[in-house]
Amino acid sequence: MFTIPVGKGLPIYESVVVTWIVMAVLVLLSMILVRNLKVENPGKKQLALESGYLFFRNFFYNLLGEHGARYIPYMITVILYIGLANIMGVFGFVPPTKDMGVTIALSLMSIFLIEYAGIRHKGTKGWIKAFAQPVAVMLPINILEIFIRPLSLCMRLFGNVLGSYVVMKLIEIICPILLPIPFNLYFDFFDGFIQAYVFVFLTSLFINEAVE
Amino acid sequence: MTSLIAIGAAIAVFTGIGAGIGIGLATGKAAESIARQPEAEGKIRSTLLLGCALAEATAIYGFVIGLLIIILLG
Repeated sequence: MFTIPVGKGLPIYESVVVTWIVMAVLVLLSMILVRNLKVENPGKKQLALESGYLFFRNFFYNLLGEHGARYIPYMITVILYIGLANIMGVFGFVPPTKDMGVTIALSLMSIFLIEYAGIRHKGTKGWIKAFAQPVAVMLPINILEIFIRPLSLCMRLFGNVLGSYVVMKLIEIICPILLPIPFNLYFDFFDGFIQAYVFVFLTSLFINEAVE
Repeated sequence: MTSLIAIGAAIAVFTGIGAGIGIGLATGKAAESIARQPEAEGKIRSTLLLGCALAEATAIYGFVIGLLIIILLG
């Protein structure tokens, strides 16, 4: 908890401050990396950037399909944010995804995008009709799914990050030197990236299902 | 009272058993199917990750419930 000295003092959560840092890093990187891009004989930096972008683009294109291709930039933004946020523990910050508010916001954005994609692609009537697919008995289950999907997305990310944070803190209490390094690699890098991957993977699967 | 709360949280964490068995089974089958059909590795991997994420969710729910028990009751 930080306080900005304005009037009586404006309290700001730590997750917000770390999110600002993540945002600053991403914005600065994207400003620096896209400078001096050329069509004719591109430099090494530009080639690396292009192959990285194509990797993400192809990955999401395979998941989202032709109709969902317009949501690729959002997905790449989310995976970059969650991926960077999850490894903030390495640099001595508290990962913002450890705060349930952040994961709730992310999963709400996901479910709104999923339903928006469904309405945009099928029209309002088709979207409402899709709740009774494939048989009318599925209606309550399909409606429940609107609430279950963001809940499980939110809880999965929050639980994983908080769990690995708690384990890392316990290990640091037992032995603060050398021992945390391998665990750090597993819990912060591997688990953090896997969770970012799973979050966008599930969101794009749901979008693909909604636009089909 | 405190020890009862601790026991309750510990019981909630037992959900991890199911997730462990599930992920183990899924990974074993995935290794088997990659050995049988190495060219389908990409598809198998993405299906495996989806299954693992869904199976793992139960363990995470147990963890969150355990946490809620400790925070709300303790």
